Amino acid sequence: MQSIVRWFHLLGSPPVFDRFARRGSRLFYLAALPVLALGLWQALFVVPADYQQGDSFRILFVHVPSAWMSLFVFALMALYAAIALVWKIKVCEVLAMACAPIGAGFTLVTLLTGSIWGRPMWGTWWDWDPRLTTELILLFLYFGVIGLYMAIEERRSAARAAGLLAIVGVALLPVIRYSVDWWGSLHQGQTIRLFGPTTLDASMQLPLWLMVIGTKLWFAGSLLAKARADNLQREAGKDWVQRALGEAP
Amino acid sequence: MTYLGYVVAAYAVFVALLVVDVIGSRLRLRRALRDAGQRQQRADARRRAATQPPSLELER
Amino acid sequence: MIAPGTEPGLWQTARALAARDLQLVWRRRGDALQPVLFAVLVVVLFALAMGRDPQRLAGSAVAVLWLAVLLAGQLALDSLFRADAEDGSLEQWLLAPVPLAWLVLVRITMHWLTTAVPLIVASPLLAEMLHLPHDQLPMLLASLLLGTPLLSLIGGLVAALTVGIRRSGILVALLSLPLYVPVLVFGAGSVAASARDQDPYGALLMLGAGLVLALVLAPLATAAAIRLSLN
Repeated sequence: MQSIVRWFHLLGSPPVFDRFARRGSRLFYLAALPVLALGLWQALFVVPADYQQGDSFRILFVHVPSAWMSLFVFALMALYAAIALVWKIKVCEVLAMACAPIGAGFTLVTLLTGSIWGRPMWGTWWDWDPRLTTELILLFLYFGVIGLYMAIEERRSAARAAGLLAIVGVALLPVIRYSVDWWGSLHQGQTIRLFGPTTLDASMQLPLWLMVIGTKLWFAGSLLAKARADNLQREAGKDWVQRALGEAP
Repeated sequence: MTYLGYVVAAYAVFVALLVVDVIGSRLRLRRALRDAGQRQQRADARRRAATQPPSLELER
Repeated sequence: MIAPGTEPGLWQTARALAARDLQLVWRRRGDALQPVLFAVLVVVLFALAMGRDPQRLAGSAVAVLWLAVLLAGQLALDSLFRADAEDGSLEQWLLAPVPLAWLVLVRITMHWLTTAVPLIVASPLLAEMLHLPHDQLPMLLASLLLGTPLLSLIGGLVAALTVGIRRSGILVALLSLPLYVPVLVFGAGSVAASARDQDPYGALLMLGAGLVLALVLAPLATAAAIRLSLN
């Protein structure tokens, strides 16, 4: 137990983190690939077509995991930011800021796959469906965090300011979600949009969980890779970086 | 109604994100390492220049 | 140095800061009218873009008015902290014997009084320009009265985060718009609901609840942001 705690504390040191991130990101990517491959194969070829939506419902297997990732990554970003603000740990600042572009990417995928799914369902490429609208606002929150981080020159202040914004964003996100749901319901009288089967048949669960786990593993690999790069950039003048330069990337 | 195009498009978007993400991380890492290497070279050059005796000639 | 026992209390500092802010605004009272002018401009441009038809204008009047007030307020955010940050007064705030959050609350209140209240006062005129039905006007004023302080409190946080950044106009807009969404939705939505004989009070109560929470939490977050920005 003690050694685990000690290892955890050691990870806060930039050179230790660099070594961990190098191995860790490779491991997570390698673990993610078979899970994702199996999930994609199951989703595309094994699961039978939905009796209402035909094959288009297969988009669910990329849309839903991406949506869950977009929210999960935002929450994780806010958590890292909170730790970084309270305990002033450099590595946590780096991790928080590395989450942002990945989360924004998943949000974008959610919006695009949602739009592509909506085309055969609603007949238009875009509908102000409350869930999609909230995802769009979430995308802007991500852009705000990234934009603020890039606008301030001093890296540590930038990470802390963007981190504070992320924390405020995560606190307000349920409020935004609730208000957009209320706004969507103001115009009652329209049929409830079908956006996926309301209950998941057992045969559909496996590919979904595979995709959910696969995207999380992929995210872990990507996060460590980006965090490692940011960490190296920040610490460029230090001795340990000079020593690490000799090793392969 | 055939949904093939839509399904392919959606999955392509998803895979594209993963690929772009990996490539982006790789590029970032390579740039960070390259910048650190150049910084090291500049520091070495400065150290070497400092150990040489100062030239008494005016260099234009 | 302040002698122990004679430190200014909360209300003394509030009065002093309020008096200073009002004096400064009075010296540049022309500038204080700029948000109102901007809102009028927005309304004029909307009318020009949509056409003269009174029915069409009346249909979107609530949305246009709310947006005009929101955007005008956003432009005014720049004057919240920037002047003090540039001449060093903001750093003096960090050393004040009263909590930074209190000073922030007083400053935001004065800012709201001098930028948003003129907008609210002008809104009946703007509503008339857009042919807003008269029976919707009270609801509009109520939503603005509850919503604009919320916008000022949220905007204050964004202004504090960006106070050190040069040319941050677009960034302020990008940062604040997602956070403004609930206020806009409930504010404009309450008037829209009342226009359709649906219950508007749920939305107004949400605004009220948000305002109460923001009065307590936003100054604290803004104070943290100021400390971050000044380091």
